[in-house]
This record gives sequence, structure tokens and C-alpha cells, in this order.
Amino acid sequence: MKLTRRAMIRDGLLVVSAGMVMPAIFSRGVASARAQALDGSRIAQTASDRTLIIVQMAGGNDGLNTVIPFTDPLYTQMRPTLGIPGTKVLPLDTRLGLHPNLQPLTKLWDEGHLAIVEGVGYPNQSLSHFQAMDIWQTLDLNGNGGEGWLGKLVAGLVDQEGHPFKALDIGVQTAQALQSISAQVPTVASVKSYAIAPDPADTDRGNARLQALMKLYNSYPGTAPYAALLDTNALNAQDGSRQLRQADATYRPAVTYPKGPFGDGLKVLAEALVQGLGLRVGYVTLGGFDTHAGQQATHALLLQTLAGGLSAFYNDLAAHGKADNVVIMTWSEFGRRVEENGSLGTDHGTAAPMFVLGNPVNKGIFGEPPSLSSLDGNGNLKYTVDFRSVYATVLDRWMGASSKDVLGGSFSSQNFLPQP
Amino acid sequence: MSIDMFDQPTEPRMNFDQAQDDNPPTPLEATQAPIPPAPPQQPAPVSRRKFMGKSVAGLAALGGAGVAAALGGVALEKLIQHGGLTTPFQGPAASSMQTGHLLRRAGFGASPEEIALYKPLGFSGAVDRLLNYQQVADDDLENRLKALNINLNSSTDQQRWWLLRMAWTQRPLLEKMTLFWHGVLTSSFRKVGGPRAYMRMINQNQFLREHAFDTFDNILLGITSDPAMLFYLDLTKSTKKAPNENYARELMELFTLGLGHYTQQDVYEGASALTGWHIKGLTSRYYPQDHNDLVKTYLGHTGNLDYKDVINILANNPAAPWFISRKLFTFFVYENPSTDDLKPLVDTYVQSGHNMGAVMRTLLLSPQFSSAKAYRSRLKSPVEFTVGAYRALGINANGSGLPAITTLMGQTLFDPPNVAGWPGDKVSALWLNSGTWMTRLNYIDLLLVRGTSAHGSSTSLVDLQGTVNKYKLNSPEQFVDHFSSFLLDSNLDSNRRTQLLDYFTAQDGSRGGRPITLTSGKSYPLGRVRGTLYLLMASPEYQLN
Repeated sequence: MKLTRRAMIRDGLLVVSAGMVMPAIFSRGVASARAQALDGSRIAQTASDRTLIIVQMAGGNDGLNTVIPFTDPLYTQMRPTLGIPGTKVLPLDTRLGLHPNLQPLTKLWDEGHLAIVEGVGYPNQSLSHFQAMDIWQTLDLNGNGGEGWLGKLVAGLVDQEGHPFKALDIGVQTAQALQSISAQVPTVASVKSYAIAPDPADTDRGNARLQALMKLYNSYPGTAPYAALLDTNALNAQDGSRQLRQADATYRPAVTYPKGPFGDGLKVLAEALVQGLGLRVGYVTLGGFDTHAGQQATHALLLQTLAGGLSAFYNDLAAHGKADNVVIMTWSEFGRRVEENGSLGTDHGTAAPMFVLGNPVNKGIFGEPPSLSSLDGNGNLKYTVDFRSVYATVLDRWMGASSKDVLGGSFSSQNFLPQP
Repeated sequence: MSIDMFDQPTEPRMNFDQAQDDNPPTPLEATQAPIPPAPPQQPAPVSRRKFMGKSVAGLAALGGAGVAAALGGVALEKLIQHGGLTTPFQGPAASSMQTGHLLRRAGFGASPEEIALYKPLGFSGAVDRLLNYQQVADDDLENRLKALNINLNSSTDQQRWWLLRMAWTQRPLLEKMTLFWHGVLTSSFRKVGGPRAYMRMINQNQFLREHAFDTFDNILLGITSDPAMLFYLDLTKSTKKAPNENYARELMELFTLGLGHYTQQDVYEGASALTGWHIKGLTSRYYPQDHNDLVKTYLGHTGNLDYKDVINILANNPAAPWFISRKLFTFFVYENPSTDDLKPLVDTYVQSGHNMGAVMRTLLLSPQFSSAKAYRSRLKSPVEFTVGAYRALGINANGSGLPAITTLMGQTLFDPPNVAGWPGDKVSALWLNSGTWMTRLNYIDLLLVRGTSAHGSSTSLVDLQGTVNKYKLNSPEQFVDHFSSFLLDSNLDSNRRTQLLDYFTAQDGSRGGRPITLTSGKSYPLGRVRGTLYLLMASPEYQLN
């Protein structure tokens, strides 16, 4: 009984075959993992090496000052003080350009590794941070869903080798997108803190004490409160801390990451990728985008942090020969009001652009920038692309998953990733 | 705007009309009225018998596996034996489980001495002592804090100051209630106007403490004009001509009503009505000339509304008592309360003129609070975990490591993740992940193995030999039972107790250190003795509250 529970936690395939999660999500994943198990085929291995990194821009990023419709006179009209002057914008084409602090991304654009999906939103967008975050993460348009879309994906991921890091969230709070009934995603604040300190009085480096502790967790009745949560996290921690420490001993980043938690977090994700810890889904958050007042300096700094971090991350992976296997996608719960407010800021809005980066990506602007002359009743943009079709694209075309099962419906793909 | 809105017994204590004086009164000067007794009759909509009967009936039907689930993992015999099912708060003395549960939920856990103080009071006597905190002196706490010379302009020292306050206070419910409010009516030092304005966070904290059991109206009036809040949600930037929506929205969505009870139009109109408040130095000031005097229609009320009207309308909105009662019940009792669970709290809110102390009395004396469903039904929050260990083990240190530790566990006081506060306050399972779990372990290790004392010396913070001598612990069994008594209400399954004893007595030679001598005269290596206590506090059971 205990063995089975352990084995199921450890081995995604068993989880799937035990019928604990929807097998349909990863029917193809199961097949490729079996193939891999049988003959270690190079193709199957490549397929399962694909990684998706999600970057959450929490608070509602001002999309209009991120990817800027700099030639639209309405933009300058409605943003008299906050508007970025056309002379400072980094043009992508004749209509749109990047905020000047996104300069590090222009190299990726020039090299063909950056896609922008414009006008992303959903019907009747919520202006509440928390309902909007719920919707983006759980896809329940009423905003009261539980399981996250990435949680469903991760629960269905097959990992024959029992890697503890098939998914990894950076921080101290596991993102709702990664919440799952049947999987607990390891959540790492820093490599240094992700370890169990031994008692120096013990001559076995804490082994006996840790074994006794794991026995207390393993024998905690499965029906007791929070049993699965406690047991799974203890197991994740025990396995993961050891592997991460070993990986850290030999990892040398090829670039200097920007200082701060965002850069540090991306470095941990890069380390997991470079050191082959089996990472399939990585998650990191950059917060502070709720710029109701005094937006200019705050937003500029945030975009600089974002672009500096993403560029360093990409360069580090490229230097280690891993850039072909990684797609990075950004999201934020909403964009901001078109017209600036009286506090040199912007209030809650709706549609906004998303970035998708990486070697596998088709360069370009996808979707349609929302019109500034046809706003909704609250003065907000009308979305042109459903966020679920962006998710469907990365699931179907990159992760080899069934988007229909993960998202609970069929959504057309976008062309920012090639057909598999 | 009908006149009856002003006839509520909730007129603000702060004299806002004097706000144009050179020395505007700050919310802190308000005095705290004593908490009125609970309404006399209080017929609980679900009788205790019926409530419990449901669990017990469920037991029979479900069989073994269901028993533990229905009862929150506590063996039935054990519950009955400890009075959990039959005598929740009757008799002269409360049971260990009742007292332990009460002091964990309405406080931060307790030392053996504290339990010995509360237990003879009986359950309702203990609730009285917790609620009537003004009658309990707390000079010792203030003196100890003063002696540490804490710099309240530093964001880490602010956390240390409050964590030690929670650890050392004799008024645990007051601090717990302040923590509750901090998670609801929240602000962050990261957005209060820069390092020179960090003190605004402490001022807000003092306001929430002084008004923790005041009327909801007064609490809302105070927080609306609170300098930290004015900055955090941009009301200070809101002007007559250009009202800022931020505070107006969150006041309804997150502080009083919840989604679905207002429209975007109410956000606009509310923002106009709320104009006039601005920060002035470390305090705030109402400028009538910057108040938007147009007629507004807000939540169905029309007139030249101002912030007082807004708060009046909100505190009297039928959704408000349900909203705040749900928050309280989830935080103090268990998650996903039913309408029946909340009804007595809502009734008390209305009958008491929105008095939060009266609502809390109803909550603490409710059968639900003392039910098996509530017992160990939430995971300890980082603050409950760290402060709990300090209180239970009587640690006298300067707390310098506490801010970093609680942050790594997922909770930085004065810095919630966003305006919705901590997700773990609502769903306690969200406190736990692999990283925060290890930090909990390492915190116990820090206390037992490598802590630094108040004087900076590197000796362990817990004097185990002293504890053995003080409580005359003469066997491994007595050692385990002693700590289990106040850390786990002696509610530890016998197999699991045996696992701890096995660790204590194992002869494998891997655990060393200067020996601890039990009163029997028998010595055990330090690693085994403190390792046993580490296991107890790292155990699944101890993670629960």
C-alpha cells in the first residue's frame, strides 16, 4: 500500500495507468515514454526534452506601453503624459514597437526568436485582479476554478526516471496555474534554502534523523488531514534537495544574470535545464505591474528587469546548447485602461500582448492589435485573440499534449509555433 | 441619500470635522470601548447535538477510512476520551484538546505554564480572558521589546517587532485578531512612500490592534484614512477632478462585499465619493475642497456622497456581514463554512451594531469552533509556526532570524503578495510546498541546534537539560509525553509515539553530542534527545493547527 502510493507519486506512468488523472491529456506522452523506455530512442527522448517556461507578470501589465502602437495618433492623444514618444520606441514594423527598456529583446527579434501575440483576452473580461488571475490559471470563466491548467498538464506528464523536477516553480508560493489534485510542484526559493539542515551532533550527516522523519510521513494515515499534501511534499523535498545540490555543484552560468529575485529565479530554471533534471514546465513570477499611479518609472524598471532576465536566460541556455528545447511564454491577468488616469497611472484594463520566445518560435506579430477607436463601455480594448488559443498552441504544437483535454475545449492554434 | 444611514450606532469616533485643524486627530487616538456581552439567547441554527450527530452518523456509514476523514484525523475514542465530542466547553476545567485548540486558533499555541493558566478557567472563562484583554497586563512584553532597541523604521525590524510581540504577549487573541485584519485590510511597506515612510506600516498596525474588536464601520473609516493605505491603494493620489479607482474597487471587492455585489459604475462613483483624503507627513488629512461634490449614485444610494457615506453604505450592505464572517470563520475555524455556520455570526453583527468583538465571541463559543471538524483542520501559517514554537518552548531570543525564516516559509509581515493578502489565510494548504516544508524543518533545527540567544551567543535556544530538570523527566516516555502534551495536546497516535521513542533510545551510534541526563540518572546523546523533539515538531501532526 505504502509502496504503491510512493511509486505513484514518483512515477507519472503509474499515476496515469492507475487512472488517477485523465489519461487522455498525455496519451501521446505515454506512448513516447514507453518507446523511450523500450529502446531509448533518440526521437522519443528529444520529444520529452521539450520544456515550457511560463513568466507571470503579476498585477496587470500595461500592454499598450509594452508593445506600443506608436504611429496611432489616438495613442498619443489618450496617453498625453504616459505615452512613449515615437522617437524612443524600438520599432518592430510600421505600426508597433517595443518600450525602450525592452532593448535586450530586439536582438532576439532580429535573430527570429521572438513572437508577439497581440490583443489577448477572453469574453467579458474581469477587471478584478483575482478573478482575472483565476480565469487565466484555471480557465474557469466564472473565476472560481481550482485546478490549474499547468497542474493538469504536469499531473499527466510521464517521467520514467522519477525526476523530482519535471515541474518547478520559483518562489515560496506555488502558482495557482500549477495546482493539481494529483501532483505537487516543487517550489524553490533558492538553491541554498532548498536543503534540509542536519544536526552537527549526528555523525551520519543527519541521515538517521531524516529516515525517521520520512517514516513519520510515510506512516501518517492516508485518510488523515492533508496526508497526500504532506507526504508528497516531503518526498519531493527529500529527492529534490539532493539532486539540486548535486546539480548546483557543477553548474556554471554562461552569463551574468541581472541582480534580484527574478534573475535569480531564471538562473535556477536554467540550472535545472542545463543539468538535465528533467524539467518540462518551469514557472517564475515578476510582480508589481499594478500601476495605478506614478506608472512611468515603475513600469520602465519592471520592463528592464523582464527583458534583462529573459535575455540572460536565453543566452545562458544557448551557450549550453539547450535553447532548441525551450519555449518561454509571458502572461499577465489583464492590460490597462487605454486612457491614462489623473494620477499619472492607468487603471485596470483588458486585452494585452503576450511574448513567446525561443529558437522553436516563428518570429512575428500574431493576432491583431486591438483598435484604439473602438473601445468597450469602460474605455478598454476589445480582445482579438482568446488566451486559450495561445495555450492550445503551446500544448499541441510544443508540449505534445492534448489541449482539448487540458483546456476542456477545442481552441484553434496560432502560428507562432510551427506545426509538429 | 436617506437620512437613516446616519442613525446607525456606528458614528466614527474620530472627529473628522476637525480634520482641517492644524493638528488633525489621527485614528490612533480613538479609544476602544469594552466588548459588549454576546446577545443573550443565541439559538444556534445547528444544534451541537445535531452538528456532532452528523459526524458520528457519518462515521458509522463510512467505516474506518471515513472516520478519520470526518473527524479530521482524530481517532473517535480519543476525541470522546478527551471530551471533544461530548463536553466541548462544559465543566470547571476544559480538556487539553479544547484548551490547546483554543490557544492555537485564538492565539499562537502555548507553553505548559500557559495551558495550566487557561485550563482551570473552563472554556468560556478562557474565551473571556482572551477577549477581555484589557484586563490582562502586558507590561512584561513592552519592557522586553523596549530592551531590544528595535528600529521601527527598518522593514525587517518591523517584522521582528511584531513577531516577538506575538511570541511574548499575554494577549494572544488581540495579536491574532490584528494579524487577521492585516491579512484582510492589508498594505505593504513596498508601497507606502519609501523608506522614510515605513513607519506608516507600524502606525497602521497599531490602528488595527487598537480597533481589532471595534465596529466594522470604525475599522473601515480608520483604514480608509490610514496613511499607509492611502498610499498603498492610491487614494492619496485621487483628486476631485480625477478620482483614482484603485481603493474604491478593492474596498468593495476585498474588504467588504466581494465580487458580484457591485458594478464597474459603483467603482467610478465610489472613487468620486472617496475623494478628499491625502497623506500629510506621516499622518493624513481630509481636504473638503478636494472632495468631488457632484451627485453620485453608489450601490443604489444617490446624493453628494462622501467617504463617511461610502463606509456607512458598505457596513450596512446585507453582503458585508456575510463577507466578513466568512473571512473570520475561515481564518479561525475551518474552510468552506456553510450558510448555517455563518448565520449566528451575521446575526451578531447586525444585533451588536457591527461590533467585531461580539462577532468573535459568538465565533469562539460556537459549537463549530470546538468541533472535530475544526480540530487540526488548517495548516499552521508561517507566523503560527514560528511564533508558536517561540511561545511553546519559551524562547527568549532577539528574533533576528525570524523575518528571513517566515519569508522563506511564504509569509512576510507587512508585505503581503498583493492586496488580497495571503492565499494561505483562505486555503491553508497553500502554505505548504516542498520548499516551505524544508524551511519549517530548518527552523526547528535552528531553534534546537544552532540558534543564537538574545545576547548573540551561539548556544542553543532551548535548554534541554534545564527542561528535563525542571519537569523532572525521568524516562524517554516522559520526555516525549511532556512535549506532546503542549505541542500536540497529548493527541499522538501510539504507533507514532513509539517511533519517537525508538529514535530516542536507538543504539546506532550515529547521534552524538554532550549527553543529556534524565532525572533517572541515565544519559542519552544530545543528538538523540533533541532529534526526538525535532521529529515531533517536524511531524505531519505538528504542521496542523
